[in-house]
Amino acid sequence: MDEDERSKVRRRTFLKGAAGALSVAAAGCVDRDSGAVAHAEAAHETAYNNCWICRASCGQEVTLEDGTAVDLTGVDGHPKASAGPGAEGTLCSKGLAQLDKTYNPNRITRPYIREDGELRSAEWDEAIAYAAERLESFREEHGPEKLLRYQGYPIGGEFHDLLFRDLYGAPIQVGRKTTCHGPFSDSWEWMAGYGREWPDWRNSEYMIAWGRNPMECFRGQWEPKGIMETIEENDATLVCIDPRYTKTAEVADRWIPIEPRTDGALALAMGHVIIEEGLHDEEFIEEWTYGFDAYREAVADKTPEWAAGITDVDAETIREVAIGFAEAAPRAVAFPFTGLSFQGNGFKNCQNVHALNGLVGNIDRKGGTRHWRAGFSLTDPFEERGIDVPANHEGRPTPDYDDYPYQRHIRDLSHNAVPTAVERGDIRGFVNNWSAPLKSGNSEAWADALEAMDLVITVDAFWSGVSRRADVVFPGASTLEQPFLATGGDSAYSESGWVTASDALIEPVGDCRTDYEIYSALATELGWGEYFPWEDAVEFYDEQLSGIGRSFEDIAERSYEIVADVKYEQWREHGFDTETGKFQFDLDVVDGYAALAEETDVSTAPEWHPPDDDLYGETTDEEYPLLLTDGFVQQLSRGHCQALDDAREEYLDRFGFRYEGYDGNLLHINPSDADPRGIETGDRVRVESPDGHVELVAHVYEGVRPGWLFAVSGFGAYSLAPDEAGANMMTMNTERHVEPVSGQVDRNLPVEVSRVGGETA
Amino acid sequence: MSQWGFYFDPDKCIGCHACSQACTVRNDIDEGDVTWRRVEHVGEGTFPDYEEISISMGCYHCAEPECRDVCPTHALEKRAEDGIVTIEQDRCIGCNYCSYACPYGAIQFGEDGLAQKCHGCLGSGAGDGHGSPPREESETARETPACVDNCVTGALDSGPINELLRGASTAAAEEFRSDDSGPAVVLEPATGTEGVSGDDG
Repeated sequence: MDEDERSKVRRRTFLKGAAGALSVAAAGCVDRDSGAVAHAEAAHETAYNNCWICRASCGQEVTLEDGTAVDLTGVDGHPKASAGPGAEGTLCSKGLAQLDKTYNPNRITRPYIREDGELRSAEWDEAIAYAAERLESFREEHGPEKLLRYQGYPIGGEFHDLLFRDLYGAPIQVGRKTTCHGPFSDSWEWMAGYGREWPDWRNSEYMIAWGRNPMECFRGQWEPKGIMETIEENDATLVCIDPRYTKTAEVADRWIPIEPRTDGALALAMGHVIIEEGLHDEEFIEEWTYGFDAYREAVADKTPEWAAGITDVDAETIREVAIGFAEAAPRAVAFPFTGLSFQGNGFKNCQNVHALNGLVGNIDRKGGTRHWRAGFSLTDPFEERGIDVPANHEGRPTPDYDDYPYQRHIRDLSHNAVPTAVERGDIRGFVNNWSAPLKSGNSEAWADALEAMDLVITVDAFWSGVSRRADVVFPGASTLEQPFLATGGDSAYSESGWVTASDALIEPVGDCRTDYEIYSALATELGWGEYFPWEDAVEFYDEQLSGIGRSFEDIAERSYEIVADVKYEQWREHGFDTETGKFQFDLDVVDGYAALAEETDVSTAPEWHPPDDDLYGETTDEEYPLLLTDGFVQQLSRGHCQALDDAREEYLDRFGFRYEGYDGNLLHINPSDADPRGIETGDRVRVESPDGHVELVAHVYEGVRPGWLFAVSGFGAYSLAPDEAGANMMTMNTERHVEPVSGQVDRNLPVEVSRVGGETA
Repeated sequence: MSQWGFYFDPDKCIGCHACSQACTVRNDIDEGDVTWRRVEHVGEGTFPDYEEISISMGCYHCAEPECRDVCPTHALEKRAEDGIVTIEQDRCIGCNYCSYACPYGAIQFGEDGLAQKCHGCLGSGAGDGHGSPPREESETARETPACVDNCVTGALDSGPINELLRGASTAAAEEFRSDDSGPAVVLEPATGTEGVSGDDG
């Protein structure tokens, strides 16, 4: 190789060398199942896999070069990665950046255990034995009920639950409903008997993305593709309600930058217009809904003029959108998500939006909301083998938190209540699988709680505030490195259920192991090996698929298969899965909610709840005049993307910061707020709330509402970003920042911003 | 010669950066400051009459490439077979003239100090594209450039310009013909969000 050729040695060669070196380092101490890696030997081939960067499981086609993954694209026709039959599959930018995760030089590739207060690397056998011994002594000292379960991006989630819930007997977990979507999904579950409805975008003719950004944040590529197709082919209308000019706003027919947290008032006024115009679905309401009289009464005086004064949306716009939506129904959908569920008054706001869908009768109808189902069931491998899995978590004493109203009716522990549970001695340990709780809520209290716990075990890929505080760190494999199976559900196939699967395509980097290997080894050490009789996850998945007459190999070879038909209007056959068997405008029949409503003196029907400094979120004032929300952009997921150079650079490039020598997140601020404070793009700014402060870099532009600030989450303290660059807004979040019905973290904080001098570069 | 080029429709672009990231992965670009393809987000107007358009940009393989014309060592070539502009890096002396001349910022310099840019994914993997075989008139999927292959919404396309023009709107085709000595890209005109005029700036 001459000098010029040597200078061209780029990343791919380095990665190959690095992975090889790590494998050699691990040789002799890993008993790996070489049979699971079917494609590692040959050079230059392609094979199917599933992307797990945001858990959407988009089918991906991976190019392999001498056993190293070098390129990716989506699988054509895949239910998650494409727009449907025959359509081209793609991946989003963060999915395309995933090789930077698998081969990241900062990835944790060996087990670690805590010894004399310090984490040190360990062999697998030693780490498993250490973790088992610690779990046994924890159980003896505290009881299994004091071990908290938390899962974020588990690939082998069922094995985590089998070991820690069913066998070890830990009854409590922190639910995603309290960190992501509680107000949205709890309200819909109580109203329609289905936890998370999702639009049938592809067939819709009027779509209201309400605090929802489906062009950037989605459950697969089918969402943005389906929206663009129906806009082009059906001349569908897209309305974006968001104080931020997102990419959804960019492609929308109408951007409504609403006053934050007033969505519930807008929804009531739209209901008022729809009833006034006689555009509601009388037949559906008569036969399939409960509590319509209470709803009609609730919106009777909620005129567009009333809402205009609250929402800063002019009355004519409210009328036009309401009428456009109702006239397109049932091929119309009003769909809220984290924009509303991150609000302290988010429950009522979501209930009011959901009510619009009931009002126009678009539920589980073509082009409306969809109650997605797979339409088939997988075989239970335990039952097949006659293994009676104990339910050791049942009947365990769990804390009774009457002083936290939402804890009376939510199934799991609210994220923000965990530090108090630790303080009260109700939680003493924590097992985590691919989750990042220190950016999900009250981070500072959580960090202290982790320090105070007697035992912290985590499966992860990077050093974060959690893994640094753990007693045991197991290096988990990515989907490229382990078998995967998923069924569904929401996808480009509106009337079908599907299965997607993929085998490991590459050897786990370094000493990483599959979830099945980790949990089965730990179970065996704890004396529960009989509950993990499968050679590997492939064998387990194979038995699951036998019930539908497929083998794991069949599906993995072709990436996906359409398995079952799922009709629209499933409620016609079985009714709604609610107390009344109908869609419920009024929740007076939901005991848990009715009791809470009575105690807090609110209506069980839709109602307008403004932020009030008491129950429903904090208001801005002279000292803290700006409202800050954090959230997401397309280039970064909620998971590990902040650790990936490629993903971070694409995000920063979007806002003109690729070349500024800054690795953190940006504070987006309107010029009308920035100018009086002397803040310009590129300035370092200090954000101060009553509960703390952070520093990051400002990006001044017209795409955010005056008086309101936005930042991408997942940076700063405790994060995976290099040197914890940027700001973790959740360090200013405290236990009281909780939506009172669902226990969901309230991510709207009153703050003040000032320039601190210095620039990014 | 059948000029090969790109097609872009800003109304379909959702500014997601899948094109630029796909380019980075397929072509194994591992230097943070180097991007052969990038997405620009252009904002106009004052809140609430604000709008953005997203533009995916790379080398446009111009009919009369200025980069080639200024290169003192003749490292840049406008290929006779398909009109793709390639760089023979062995001839490059890193003088940067080409990047000064390029109106689109398409030419980049890595740590080796040599010019590099989009070569339409000729072949695959790293390299400057120089000496690669010509493109076929109709391409198979795997020969499609990574950016086009991974465009989520079909905003980007590539191929022989005549084929691209046949699939384009009349306005885009006419705009291209009026400037067919320039960049080999068929651009659809952008339309704005309702109620927001792009002319007001």
